[in-house]
Amino acid sequence: MAVSDTLPVSLKTVVENGVLNRLPLTFLPFANQQLRDWQFLFPNERRATEQLLLYVNSLSPDESSALFAEVTALEEKMNVGSWKFSTSEQTIENASLLARSPWFQEWRRAVQAVFDATERHATTTEGVPTPANRLVLIEIPRPLDLAAVSVWQRWGQLGRPLNLEIPPNLSGGVLQNLVVGDPRLSNGLLGKVTQRARNQYAEAWVIDAGHALVDSALALPPAGPGAAQPVLLSYSRLDPCRQNFSREMNTMRKDLSDADAVYDRLRKVNLVSWCPPEVAADPAAREFVRNLYLSGNGAVIFSNSFVQWAASEAFRRARPRFLAARFGVRSKPKPFTAVAVFENPDQVNPLPAVDDLPGSAIDAQILAPYIWLAAMRYEEYAHATVCVCVAESLSQACVVAPPEFAVAHGQSTLSIDALGHELDEWIS
Amino acid sequence: MMLPWARACEPLSTGAGSGHKVVLVIIGGVRRAETFSREGLENIPHLAHDLLPQALFYDHARNEGVTAHFNAISSILTGNWQRVDDWGRLAPTTPTLFEQFRKGLRVDRSDTWIVASNKALTSLIGASSASGYGQEFGANVVFPKQLMLMAVADALHGGRTANMADRDKIEAELESAMEGNNYEGLGWNVFDAADRLDPRVRDSIRDAVARFVHSGGPTSGDELTFFMVREIMRCFTPQLLVVVFSDVEAAHFGSYAMHLSGIRTADRLTFQIWNEIQANPDYKDKTTMVTLPEFGRDPDGSSTNGFFNHRANDDSTRDTWMMVLGSAVDRPNVIEKPIRHVDLCPPLAGLLGCRRLESQGTLLGDFRM
Repeated sequence: MAVSDTLPVSLKTVVENGVLNRLPLTFLPFANQQLRDWQFLFPNERRATEQLLLYVNSLSPDESSALFAEVTALEEKMNVGSWKFSTSEQTIENASLLARSPWFQEWRRAVQAVFDATERHATTTEGVPTPANRLVLIEIPRPLDLAAVSVWQRWGQLGRPLNLEIPPNLSGGVLQNLVVGDPRLSNGLLGKVTQRARNQYAEAWVIDAGHALVDSALALPPAGPGAAQPVLLSYSRLDPCRQNFSREMNTMRKDLSDADAVYDRLRKVNLVSWCPPEVAADPAAREFVRNLYLSGNGAVIFSNSFVQWAASEAFRRARPRFLAARFGVRSKPKPFTAVAVFENPDQVNPLPAVDDLPGSAIDAQILAPYIWLAAMRYEEYAHATVCVCVAESLSQACVVAPPEFAVAHGQSTLSIDALGHELDEWIS
Repeated sequence: MMLPWARACEPLSTGAGSGHKVVLVIIGGVRRAETFSREGLENIPHLAHDLLPQALFYDHARNEGVTAHFNAISSILTGNWQRVDDWGRLAPTTPTLFEQFRKGLRVDRSDTWIVASNKALTSLIGASSASGYGQEFGANVVFPKQLMLMAVADALHGGRTANMADRDKIEAELESAMEGNNYEGLGWNVFDAADRLDPRVRDSIRDAVARFVHSGGPTSGDELTFFMVREIMRCFTPQLLVVVFSDVEAAHFGSYAMHLSGIRTADRLTFQIWNEIQANPDYKDKTTMVTLPEFGRDPDGSSTNGFFNHRANDDSTRDTWMMVLGSAVDRPNVIEKPIRHVDLCPPLAGLLGCRRLESQGTLLGDFRM
């Protein structure tokens, strides 16, 4: 089995001691892939992998058999041993084999139970981590028109609508002002988060359907000594990467018969020269983008899908303390050629691209709460997280926050400066 | 005057069968929330207002199998939950309705068609791997959207993308894709699949393409599927016709607006198929049309990314509905008691006059046989 040279000694030791032999077959693709791709993992993923393998290693053979007993029993029922099942990495074929088994749902529950047990053990031995305040900022910007009567419908009872006083001469939009502020002064929220010495890698993310927000974040002074740069992902700045990637995808579709062979080749394509510098220089972010494109959900096709899915994956994999996401505008599908969604529509059809403003607004309106719901799946965000979704065309925001955040129950109208001040207090 | 349903080609049917026709319309994954719910009705005006009052409507038709396209559709067509490869590399393991009908009643292949937009299907959807059955008794399988995709790809690789902005040239591109040396590359299986399209089919497909391109209307995969279905109905008058619409699957790419648009398209085209049945004397008063989604979609907030996908073990994904129109409807009614997707095959087989085969489905007593 290939493992990364960068594995911590403790993990290397337990792997050499054969901890993987104690794992059920269906755990191996995950474990092997994490160990091989260690350099591309975010700190949270490293921690979770380490926790699992060190915990299993700490158990007696009988205890580890008991931990995996249910999974192993289900594997026998599913007859996994007779499958063409990859143990080196997670594949489409693996997922398909598992998903069509009548035991799939029970298997998922059993796997989750193992991770829950690992988590409980870590809490016992390492103590409960101090909850840190977290912040999720989302913007549905102009020119996406939204209807005041329905804009927050999908947020249900989650949040509280707030009127925003937006200066008429505000340039760059509400989110950019909150996140970046005046780049020279580093007085935006992002600057404050990243300038903190204790800021760790992948704790701050900015995800942009266009490029203006990321461009302005790139203009900030570098993070302080010992502090990590934020992860900056712009759909537009990634255009060359996306286009080259989808071209590869299309070329391969003609040559290769099965999806895993296609994906295997796409996993090996060198992305460095296709990525903007802020992504090219960051191996984990680069591989994050690759996985985002490979995992579907429209990230390679539509900017707003990219924003939502990138945010969801960031929560799942990195558990950031600060995440800002801005939606944008997609084009209308072009006549006849719209079915070929994997092709670049501008390459396939010479008709000029036309913005689909109403369609983009409908998309963003459901994808914005999806970002929040994605965060809510993780314990880290359950109690001390503030989420603000700005509907710029309405000068409104929806605030989801615990009671200790003053804006959650204060005035119903707030200036951007006042909101920025409250958010700064929260995240500091 | 040439009536729209007048045949342009010779009938091929052997006349075997009960004389009853079945048109089964399967729509890709749609949630109740976007269809038969208070908020969803605006997306399905034809189903909800034009068709529901004359329908036998099953409010809960459950997919309790694998909620992926090939398995979902083949489960409906066989009356048994299928757990084969999701990518259509394996045929269903028990006989499809097509095979039951053709083998049992010596029905010609031209009487059984499946016309589908869904890219996840292959020609193996038309026949099973069951012993004594198989391709010999399978249906004609046509994937119109695949024709469009091939035309787009050919134009791209041949440096002719400028053609895609000109309707006459698009028609030529589509015809060229259809006439290509290897039409089986389209995944079709029409009559006894030689390396060229059967001439009996070629003309009707060409007519469908011409009507589609020059209609001036929307140009999605489902629209082309509809035009082909209509031509096939007019030309071959199949006794068993299965139509699969899949514009709704734009949801996989995260565009909710395009997903809703796909629902509205499926609603309108389903209504147009019903109108075609009413206007075509070969179908009127002797046809049962059934419409149901393959499955729902995942609930908002699910770990599978909500409406994008259909993998969650949740009512949002499993609990759909089914609408029956035409001859099998004794009186319009709404049935609240849940049925399962595999329950549909036995009554359809009964309507077609087939001997009952072993099935996980039960006969639905509300159908008038």
